[in-house]
Amino acid sequence: MLANAPRLMLVGRRLVQFVPVIVLATFVVFGLLKLVPGDLAATLAGEYATEERIAQIRESYGLNDPFLVQYGRWLWNAMQLDLSRSFQSNEPVLEQIMHRFPTTMLLVVGALLVSLVVGVPLGILAATNAGSRLDVAVTSLSSFGVALPNFWLAMILVATFSLSWGWFPATGAVRFGADPAGAIWHAVLPSIALAAGGIAEVVRQLRSALIEILSSQYVRTLYAKGLSPSAILWKHGLKNVAVTLLTVIGLLASRLLGGAVVIEAVFAIPGMGSMVVRAAIVKDFPVVQGVVFTMVILVIAINLVIDLLYTIVDPRVALK
Amino acid sequence: MNAPIKLPSGRIDRRTFLALTGAAAMAGGEAKAQKRGGTLRLSAQSNPSSLDPQTGNSGSDHVILYPLYDSLVEWDYTTLQAKPGLAEKWAYPDPSTLVLTIRDGVTFHDGTKLDGAAVRYNLMRAMSHERSNIKSDLGTVAEITASGQTVTLKLKQPDSALPLILSDRAGMMSSPKAMEEHGRDYDRRAVGTGAMKLVSWADNERVVMVKNDSYWKKDRPLQDGMVFQIIPELPTGLRSVTAGQNDLVYYLVPQQKQLIDRARTLGSAVGPSLLCVHAYFNYGRAPLDNVKVRQALNYAVDREEFNKATHGGIAETTSTILPRAHWACATEYSGTFTYDPDRARKLLAEGGHPNGIDILGVGYAEQLQVQQQEVLIEQMRKAGIRLRWERYTGPPTPAAFFAEKKGDILLAPWTGRPDPSLTYQLVFGTGSYFNAGRGEGAPGLTEALLATRASDDLTVRKEAFRKLQKIVTENALHLPLLFRPELTAYSAKVKGYKPNLLGKPKFEDVWLEG
Repeated sequence: MLANAPRLMLVGRRLVQFVPVIVLATFVVFGLLKLVPGDLAATLAGEYATEERIAQIRESYGLNDPFLVQYGRWLWNAMQLDLSRSFQSNEPVLEQIMHRFPTTMLLVVGALLVSLVVGVPLGILAATNAGSRLDVAVTSLSSFGVALPNFWLAMILVATFSLSWGWFPATGAVRFGADPAGAIWHAVLPSIALAAGGIAEVVRQLRSALIEILSSQYVRTLYAKGLSPSAILWKHGLKNVAVTLLTVIGLLASRLLGGAVVIEAVFAIPGMGSMVVRAAIVKDFPVVQGVVFTMVILVIAINLVIDLLYTIVDPRVALK
Repeated sequence: MNAPIKLPSGRIDRRTFLALTGAAAMAGGEAKAQKRGGTLRLSAQSNPSSLDPQTGNSGSDHVILYPLYDSLVEWDYTTLQAKPGLAEKWAYPDPSTLVLTIRDGVTFHDGTKLDGAAVRYNLMRAMSHERSNIKSDLGTVAEITASGQTVTLKLKQPDSALPLILSDRAGMMSSPKAMEEHGRDYDRRAVGTGAMKLVSWADNERVVMVKNDSYWKKDRPLQDGMVFQIIPELPTGLRSVTAGQNDLVYYLVPQQKQLIDRARTLGSAVGPSLLCVHAYFNYGRAPLDNVKVRQALNYAVDREEFNKATHGGIAETTSTILPRAHWACATEYSGTFTYDPDRARKLLAEGGHPNGIDILGVGYAEQLQVQQQEVLIEQMRKAGIRLRWERYTGPPTPAAFFAEKKGDILLAPWTGRPDPSLTYQLVFGTGSYFNAGRGEGAPGLTEALLATRASDDLTVRKEAFRKLQKIVTENALHLPLLFRPELTAYSAKVKGYKPNLLGKPKFEDVWLEG
């Protein structure tokens, strides 16, 4: 079913787009890092810097080479899946990413699940009671959720559930592979904090899409034919908002990946977000480039999966 | 249970510090009651730059290096005077020869023996390895010979600073065998003689250590292991201790003292440190090549108000680069620059700036640093000094000033060195990286610097430092403000923690109850 021609073409198109997107994204980030003021070699030399040591670092890391040569060297290595080594720690960047990737993904998947588990029922509730006090309450709550800074919520959650009640850990993470239950336990509060904006987004998008469908002509016809409201909602309404929901999930997943940076800092989670922030501050561009490279692949992969799911939910999409 | 060591209001002077460290020792020491076992979990703000003492480049590494490595010389917690470490004794048979007698029966974590040859190997590597960051520390050493447990250093010139230099990175001994085996990867291996052996280092995550069963010091280590959790955000680090996930967090900022006191389950210790918050001057060019302008800047700052506004009033204000508790501090200069905006204006006029002056500062963009910068803007404005700041994030900040020569002043801390001559040499010495102008700041400075290392007699050295500080103060070569206290918070089960004057915590006397 999945392997029909239009779908294969869709996958092919996305893969062709992948190359220019990754070159553009990494080139722009590389350029921005170069524009940030501060001498990388002097930064790496640290508190024991001498003129001699700075010159030596510049030479050994190829920092005297022209900008395009430096970028080209990184790109050539990256094409062979060698993301080079961190200037700071000398650790292979790919290893660092592989080490941290599961932690960040657990956080993002957790936040996505919380967003959907809480957001979908609330969205349905608001749409099926449009204009009521319940609708106003849910809509107001979701507006609050959008406005709520997740780092603030994170600190409130820590103060309440960790420091006062001791139910959840205040900081850190456990690797899922080592201890799945411990990993989930550690991820509960960060996921909830990260999901606040996501819940609101799901509620708002689902509500407006569902209201539009429930007030359409064909739903009126279904009512006229005698179908029960619940049958209309579950069989026809939700099926038709599935594309909207998938779009929201795709956008949300990308946004949560970005939002994880802040949450990882608040909870001291050793994930990719905290890694890229530290690397950007000291201009450790192999690490920054490596994370950007991974994020671009991830976002393109998410979009591809969402596109494929569109074609299952609504086969007309693939034909277009 | 340990009663938290309460911080007195106002700055910490020598007497207070001695009382505090004594109180800490009494409160937590109780040698008879010391217990063994347990893993000490610490929140560390910074990932180590390297676990090889010779290639690391950050002052914050030391806290993690201390358990892994012993140094040839150690220092007294309260005075920073040298005392035996891996070298059980040392002597200067003549001013240009230093002879170290290495302790017998000490082994590295890989089982190899510490002897004179191993010490020689380490020192030679520190002097010559291409990635060594401490070549200049041993710049006066001409030749090293070893025989059995004796190591002889022939010097190019008298250098009495060497014993304390050997209490720092240069004196931390690594296994020659491990360094040979691991090459560049030794950065992440660490095979010393310390109380703890390295188990793992997950970058920016944690450093795990386990006790060294063959440790040479009697009754040490007191813990079965140590784990340094890398938590860059200090509030998060403190929360991790409050929540019981860690046992101790160090390098807290004074603003967090109230939070610690409010959390009744936490104890805290405060000690002075060598960490001097000051502004470096680029006196290699105008306008700060003019001594009158430099003096004006110093008189334009109300240090007590700065202390209250930015450090809760608990820091030690200063006009020198050494705290009053330090053996080499010329205390008569510690309070030279009193707040006097009229005098500052007068000095500016005498220096050719009757209508005031524009000064460009380089500073960190972090919140607490910006607060300090803003206080300085306001205070200096009253003296006709129009100060503005160019801000950077993290390590590029000092690089912008020292390497790229941006700005006239840099507001940044100096973390200090065990031997004060290194501090003066690095901050003011001709050609030093931290002397942005690179030139000699004042006539006679180079000779005065050399004089501080010419004798190993402490009284003679103290007098030499007094003369050196006189030159630095009279020529206002920087803008010293205060010494940031070293603030540590710990859970109730942590006993025996003592701050030290260097301000880089050691945990050899810490034990865990329960």
